[in-house]
Amino acid sequence: MLPTLKGRWLTRILLFFWIGLPVTLVFSIYIATPESPVLPLIGWNYDTLPFQILFLLLIVGLLLDPVYIHFQQYRWERDWPFAFQFFFSIVEFLIVLALVWRGALDFTRSPLDLHTPENYLLFAVHFACVFIPSFLALLGFIQIFMIRWRFKGGEWGRM
Amino acid sequence: MIKLPILLDIYQRGEGPLKRVERISLPETGDYAIGRLPENQIVLDAPEVSKHHAWLLVREDGIAIADRGSTNRTFIGDAEIDRSAWDGALPVRIAQFEIHLVAQTAAGAVKSSGTQAQATRALSGSAGTSAQPSAPRGQSIEVALNAPGAPDEIRFPRNIFSESIVSADALKAGPYFAGECTYLSVGAGLGSFVWADHLRIFGVPKKDIRAIGDDVIPYANYQRLCRNSQIPPHERLRSNSISTPDNIWGFPGYASRETWRDLKEFRFSGLKHIFQVFGEASLAQSFTPRSGDVFRSIDSEAKRIGWREMYVSGRVLGIRKTNDERYAVAYRISEEQARGGVRERVMIGKYLHIATGYPATRFTGDLQAFKARFPEEARVFNAYENHEAVYRTIEQNPRAATVVVRGRGIVASRIIQRLYEARRKNRSITIVHQMRTPVGRNEGHRYKRAQRYVYNHIENQAFNWPKACWGGEILREVERATPEERAKIYEAIGGTTTADRRDWRNIIQIGIGGGWYRPVFGDFETLELVKTDQGPKIEMRLRARGNESAAEVVADFVIDCTGLIGDIMHSPCLRDLAETYNLPRNPSVSGDKTGGIGVTPDYEISALRNGTGRAYAAGQITLGGPQPAVDSFLGLQYAALRSADHLAVLGAPNISLFGPLRSFSQWIKWCTNLAP
Repeated sequence: MLPTLKGRWLTRILLFFWIGLPVTLVFSIYIATPESPVLPLIGWNYDTLPFQILFLLLIVGLLLDPVYIHFQQYRWERDWPFAFQFFFSIVEFLIVLALVWRGALDFTRSPLDLHTPENYLLFAVHFACVFIPSFLALLGFIQIFMIRWRFKGGEWGRM
Repeated sequence: MIKLPILLDIYQRGEGPLKRVERISLPETGDYAIGRLPENQIVLDAPEVSKHHAWLLVREDGIAIADRGSTNRTFIGDAEIDRSAWDGALPVRIAQFEIHLVAQTAAGAVKSSGTQAQATRALSGSAGTSAQPSAPRGQSIEVALNAPGAPDEIRFPRNIFSESIVSADALKAGPYFAGECTYLSVGAGLGSFVWADHLRIFGVPKKDIRAIGDDVIPYANYQRLCRNSQIPPHERLRSNSISTPDNIWGFPGYASRETWRDLKEFRFSGLKHIFQVFGEASLAQSFTPRSGDVFRSIDSEAKRIGWREMYVSGRVLGIRKTNDERYAVAYRISEEQARGGVRERVMIGKYLHIATGYPATRFTGDLQAFKARFPEEARVFNAYENHEAVYRTIEQNPRAATVVVRGRGIVASRIIQRLYEARRKNRSITIVHQMRTPVGRNEGHRYKRAQRYVYNHIENQAFNWPKACWGGEILREVERATPEERAKIYEAIGGTTTADRRDWRNIIQIGIGGGWYRPVFGDFETLELVKTDQGPKIEMRLRARGNESAAEVVADFVIDCTGLIGDIMHSPCLRDLAETYNLPRNPSVSGDKTGGIGVTPDYEISALRNGTGRAYAAGQITLGGPQPAVDSFLGLQYAALRSADHLAVLGAPNISLFGPLRSFSQWIKWCTNLAP
């Protein structure tokens, strides 16, 4: 897929809803403690932290997309190799980590609880759980469901 | 006025050069039949020639050639003709025969007889040069006149297609009617196949689709071009992993299939294909599939969708709108299939699709003229025609041989690779690579902020267009542009390129170092046949340009790699269609005089709209339109998808809107090889 700006944004939002949120929900239930908030109806405990990280990832990504598109203009093929996609996804995660480190989420809980090595390890595992299926989807699984997606620069919908 | 008698030389192409088999003298005006059966006046005895192949019409005011619905067609030079005046500048080609006009023509231009004595005379590149008239020599056969009456006005399909809108009832009551269907594709090549594949997967049953064309194998023509231009089954095409004519989703691509096959046999080197797709084009060379793998995959998909049941064998001769909002397609089946019955057929369809592909191979003018002058010298070839004789000759004879490769495209790269392989058998082969202009390191094409990379005077690009032409920013820009803006975009991103393959770069490096490869720049001013101690050779003089002096090259062979002609006017059927309905044409793209047939972004030929009937086009014949890469696998898939979507929105029968669930379930069927 050779992305356009709108295509990048729409694909990111698509992956956020179809992979990011479900994976994060499972992950957050898995790491929850009895003190964690309770899901309505089902009554299971879940941790809010992975959702906050996921939202940060989405925002950082959406903000960086125009930057990628700008650099894409200098490429003759106007393409974006999978390797770049892979590399910059990790860069985005590192940016999110740096933001958390600088206190982006300090308003949600006590900084002493937040900035523990265990939590940062958790962020990495959570990121891997979201990133790997998302990347595989980009490699081709989206096409199975959305046949027009690859021709539309990553946008959804009909032609 | 023509001067009688008319003298014709008939040449036959065997394995090597053309051999003159006969000289014929036509003593008076009349209609001369050409064909395989003895009842013809001019008998060409070969299975590829039809029983009644063509007419040679000799009139007071000139000569004309008319095809009689032959299976393998009639050509003047490289242009396929239906009926055309013939001035003798280019030979008439019928199967492996060439008919050359010996004496004079109506215009008074006189041609050399092509005998050895005159063969060494200097010739310029232009076609109209006159030589002294030569007295007829050799065996002269007087041909009895057996004029069979005026054949042209009543010829099929003109007898039923004289109006621009024809009556469906009349056609159905007539002797030619062969059936009707909902979806009718013309060409039956890869374009038709991919379209039919989409329709089938979108829900259309086999019985509603028909595709009319020359060969039941949809890739037959493509495969022939590949083989001639030195891409055998194990060599790789210039196509990407996700350009999958056998799979409308593009997943799994050819790279992962090749890796999977390798891993099953414990060949872990197969993983490199996955890495190629991951890193291309910046960290790894772009993945390209083996031609044999692509053909096999198409075979399997053809079986799955029931291609043979949808295929109709025949050569399409004409297309008309009908008075009941449909389209009539006139075609002719082969003598063998007709089994003595009527060969002319008409089929009527509600939704028409035209994908007839390239009409002709291209020969640059000077080479064309040289071939016409020296038909017995098999020295000049188009890379897309069979030229194995070149390699055989230079590999088997150990003496020095020089081959001129003309053009800078991907085919030239392949031919140079083939010549490099020939050098293993004969170390004294040298290559002269003729290109029109040098291209400096920073002189590659520019489009917006980007510039194309240049290596050894050749612009490098993974595929024949920048990748974003298949989906992404450039495709979007071209689709939204006006025809004038499109012409500018095509100018900026077009041009001939080759792929940045490491082996090809190494060959050039080794060749320059070893002194057996040399690029020359400019157009050849003269082409002469000269006699040397080592036999006849071609002497070419390069026109001086700018600060470069004139150069001279003496070569044994010239291989023209400048490509195929995309001009739809070379196809009699399309020309008739374009003229009858005044079809709008696209702006010209890289070298061709005019672009293809104008289509909407949904690939509809809006000028052919017939009430609720719709006509679509795909492939090369739409060049210069809403998509640059029309003649690629993925370009055909895109065109097919757009037109199938358009039909679905129109509410055409049995076509679904193809949402995610249907897409997924159909994909599962593809994976398990179940019929759609």
